[in-house]
Amino acid sequence: MLRPAPRRTRQVGKAQQTAVAYALLAPSLVGVLGFLLAPVVIVLVLSLFDWKLLSTPEFVGLANYSRLFADEDVWHSLLVTLYYVVICVPGTTILSLLLALLVDRKLRGMKYFRALLVIPWMATPVALGLVWSWIFDPGRGALNQFLGVFGIDGPAWLSSPVLAMPSVAAVHIWQFAGYNMLFFLAGLQNIPRSLREASSLDGASPVAHFFTITLPLLRPTMLFVLITNVIGSFQAFDTIFVMTEGGPGDSTEVATYLIYDEAFRKFDFGYASTISVLLFAVVLFATITQFVYFERRTTYEVSG
Amino acid sequence: MRLRIFTYAVLVAGCLFAIFPYFLTVLTAFKGPGQLSETMPWEPGLPPSTAAFGRLFDSGFGGYLVNTALVTAGITLGQVVFAILAAYAFARLSFPGRDALFWVYLSTLMVPPVVTMIPLYLMMQKLGLVDTWAGLMLPTMLGTPYAIFLLRQFFRGIPADLEDAARIDGAGRFRTLVSIVLPLSKPILVTVTTLAVVANWNSFLWPLIITSSEDKRLLSVGIALFKGEIGVDYNAVMAGSLIALAPLLVLFIVFQRFIVRSVAVTGLK
Repeated sequence: MLRPAPRRTRQVGKAQQTAVAYALLAPSLVGVLGFLLAPVVIVLVLSLFDWKLLSTPEFVGLANYSRLFADEDVWHSLLVTLYYVVICVPGTTILSLLLALLVDRKLRGMKYFRALLVIPWMATPVALGLVWSWIFDPGRGALNQFLGVFGIDGPAWLSSPVLAMPSVAAVHIWQFAGYNMLFFLAGLQNIPRSLREASSLDGASPVAHFFTITLPLLRPTMLFVLITNVIGSFQAFDTIFVMTEGGPGDSTEVATYLIYDEAFRKFDFGYASTISVLLFAVVLFATITQFVYFERRTTYEVSG
Repeated sequence: MRLRIFTYAVLVAGCLFAIFPYFLTVLTAFKGPGQLSETMPWEPGLPPSTAAFGRLFDSGFGGYLVNTALVTAGITLGQVVFAILAAYAFARLSFPGRDALFWVYLSTLMVPPVVTMIPLYLMMQKLGLVDTWAGLMLPTMLGTPYAIFLLRQFFRGIPADLEDAARIDGAGRFRTLVSIVLPLSKPILVTVTTLAVVANWNSFLWPLIITSSEDKRLLSVGIALFKGEIGVDYNAVMAGSLIALAPLLVLFIVFQRFIVRSVAVTGLK
């Protein structure tokens, strides 16, 4: 087929095209540079200042950072956040992968099952937190009433320092397992069916097939699901805000909650910025580590 | 055969588990205070009572609902339109700094919103926009990098010949975008719009921080504060949650096929 002359040789003004491009980009440039990148720079600068409400900002160098490293509350909240991440990420990933294997079959009505499983993803987290608080209510709540049917005396889920965090994390898993299932499902459907037939002809068991063929081929999907979930669960706030308010004690006081508390209840903007920088560094580190790990594994597979 | 029955059994159990909190919400919202303590949580209260909704709307919940609908519509419209413009520029035009700029856009995907929260608040304070509609909407309505990324990938897959033909006929950039590119991009537009509506409707932290007066309160903030104000009035709290959950649920049921198919698209990079 004959093509018209390549567009780029048309000299109808490179300058004009540049002008059009930047006109189209103008709104998003303001958004990205002004409201995403500039705040990162500002938060770094703020972390070097002592600035409480009504006081004038005062440059204090790294004083906020030395306070940070000595602050047990900060380290505690970081540990609490890690605890949350360590429950949520494997929980969501494994459950969503199992669901994907289950719905990756041609059965009647399968599309309705898939749709139903995705519904929790859209739920407003604050509303969801309240609904689950009601389910977890020690007296009249559905969970303990249900356990009561079997003669089990259910605990006070959200006011127990031991159970509060797993309970809150369970809500996260409940909300996002179906959603992440969709990504694994897409990944599974990209695997050529011939591979499955070949390995069943070889007499490989479904389990062996899963670990030797399916799982390695799902690696890009796995990376995507892990990274988005890690970033997401490091920022948990909404459900915790309504379910436990960081309590009981400080047993669910995740980093985001601490930052909110320092900035908008104690109005210590400088120090809250310093904690933000720490959280950002941790999230970046976790993200980059995963990239590097997956990169290595893939190279290893290819060379080995 | 046995495997099929097993699969169905697990699926039914899984789906029940996924939607039972919605059932409980509906059941509790339509119970009267007495019925709450007389019935099991999974039993309906008979006859159904709408008293909880009455208490909610008396305390200004109707206003929160209208606010949330308008703010969600406004931010979503801005995000989608500005993302289309930016994505088109990245996909179709050549200009100095294009690739570097696109890389900058993508890198901002790694910035957690919590990190930008304090600077944004202080910026809005400087601009005099604390507790205003503009302050509530401005930081997010100018286009999200993720939407721009998704649209750009899609636009690049549309054959350029189609546009060239229209342009030879004298159509300008804007005409080709509106009359040729957008009609071909319906699936991705549904995806991007859905993601935006869900995110904006559910948004909580920023509205909590930036607004304080009741006439600008959104649903998410309203129900969160409601719990503190009225204590454990579970009927009213569940009625409020139902009002927050229901519109997205309806949206999902209507667009269910599009959404399930298109959400999966976003993970394929």
